[in-house]
Amino acid sequence: MPNSKPDAATLLEAVVKYLDEELIPTLAGYHRFQSRVAANVIRTVGREIGLRAGQAAAERMRLAALLGHDGEVEALNSELADRIRAGALALDDEALRAHIRQSLSDALAINNPKWLSR
Amino acid sequence: MATADTIAHGASAAPGDQDSFASLLQAAVARHLGAPGTLHDLQRLTGGATKATWSFDAECGGTRMPLIMQTTNAGAASIPPAIDGLTPHLTAEEDAQVMRAAERAGVPAPHVHALLEPADGLGHGYITGRVPGETIGTRILREERYAAARGAMASQCGTILAAVHTIDAQEVPFLKDQDAAAQVAAYRTYVDHYRLRLPAVEMGLRWAADRIPSRPRRAVLHGDFRMGNIIVGEEGVRCVLDWEIAQIGDPMQDLGWLCVKTWRFGGRNPVGGFGGREDLFAAYEKASGVTVDPAQVLFWEAFGDVKWAIMCLFKAMAFSDGTEPLSLEQAAIGRRIEEPLLDFLNLIEGRD
Repeated sequence: MPNSKPDAATLLEAVVKYLDEELIPTLAGYHRFQSRVAANVIRTVGREIGLRAGQAAAERMRLAALLGHDGEVEALNSELADRIRAGALALDDEALRAHIRQSLSDALAINNPKWLSR
Repeated sequence: MATADTIAHGASAAPGDQDSFASLLQAAVARHLGAPGTLHDLQRLTGGATKATWSFDAECGGTRMPLIMQTTNAGAASIPPAIDGLTPHLTAEEDAQVMRAAERAGVPAPHVHALLEPADGLGHGYITGRVPGETIGTRILREERYAAARGAMASQCGTILAAVHTIDAQEVPFLKDQDAAAQVAAYRTYVDHYRLRLPAVEMGLRWAADRIPSRPRRAVLHGDFRMGNIIVGEEGVRCVLDWEIAQIGDPMQDLGWLCVKTWRFGGRNPVGGFGGREDLFAAYEKASGVTVDPAQVLFWEAFGDVKWAIMCLFKAMAFSDGTEPLSLEQAAIGRRIEEPLLDFLNLIEGRD
């Protein structure tokens, strides 16, 4: 991120405010629906900017503990997926279950926080 | 993969040449249902690259008929050979044939008045009767006027599914026959095609592969029987829509799919958000004479969560190999995969 202001999250907040308060009330039908999807996507990206770095650091530590070695989060996730697929990990392993539950909850905190309270 | 098409669409823009479309439709109605076919209240309900639904009334032989036309443009999506035909998807002609067989079996399916022909100039599709009522899940679950319907629907769904499962397979010989193992393999192929390596998805696929039901019954299934695909009135279920992924398989699949949390639209009850599993099972057993094994239904519900997650991925990734152009709505669907995956985890851990 460049050392400029406003920061990315604030820029996105301004776009959402324009869409919600000014543009969407003037629209109907197809474009109203699409614009609401667009505003939701921007909100998602905004939450990702705020939350993901912290989540990824914790996720990396959990993955390293499960796999027995450190690495980049994406590579560790792929390795975990391969090990589950190969049957190298018991599906009812408590640490594995807890890790997957936490990772899904983290993603939902970004993608659709409402789902977590259903 | 038809299910993802039914995610709520906004009303789409009508095609540019509305007048010539309307005159083609009127001519088709006059030819198949009776002259003069004069149209009233023509409106497009849903639309997409491959499917469109139109609602209208038509004057035929002195009566005004409430009608629906559904058309499919089979060539619009160019699905890569590696993943083409992995899961069931009927042509419009087959779809209509299934609805007719369903009606004969006592299922409240749309009455097919006509199959479109090349001479109609409207593409592939059919014209059915239009049943009044509500399909939007959140309204059915919240509005006071559907209170009695909500109380009755779990039993009604059990009875209707028992009738679906009596459809004579010989009348619909084109249906794809997929047991649980074949479905796990098909969804595995989707995941591999897009080179996805996601721990929660792998957990779901392996969980399902380890629990394939042994020696299930086989019957004609609706395949997508859920809130959103049924028309509801104040008294309950009036009509079962969207037969385009009908298939042959384990009847418990239809019962499990109806319970998948995504289709509860925020409702607290396990069957479609509106009812209890015991009512669904009791009505199904009474109508079919077959004992329901709740564990087998739970398998299909949990695997249903996993399948829905992969369908969302499939929709979101379809642009990446040129199957479909990048679109906002489909890209956004990709970020919905964790919903059913968390539901899956909750279900298998007894937290649902």
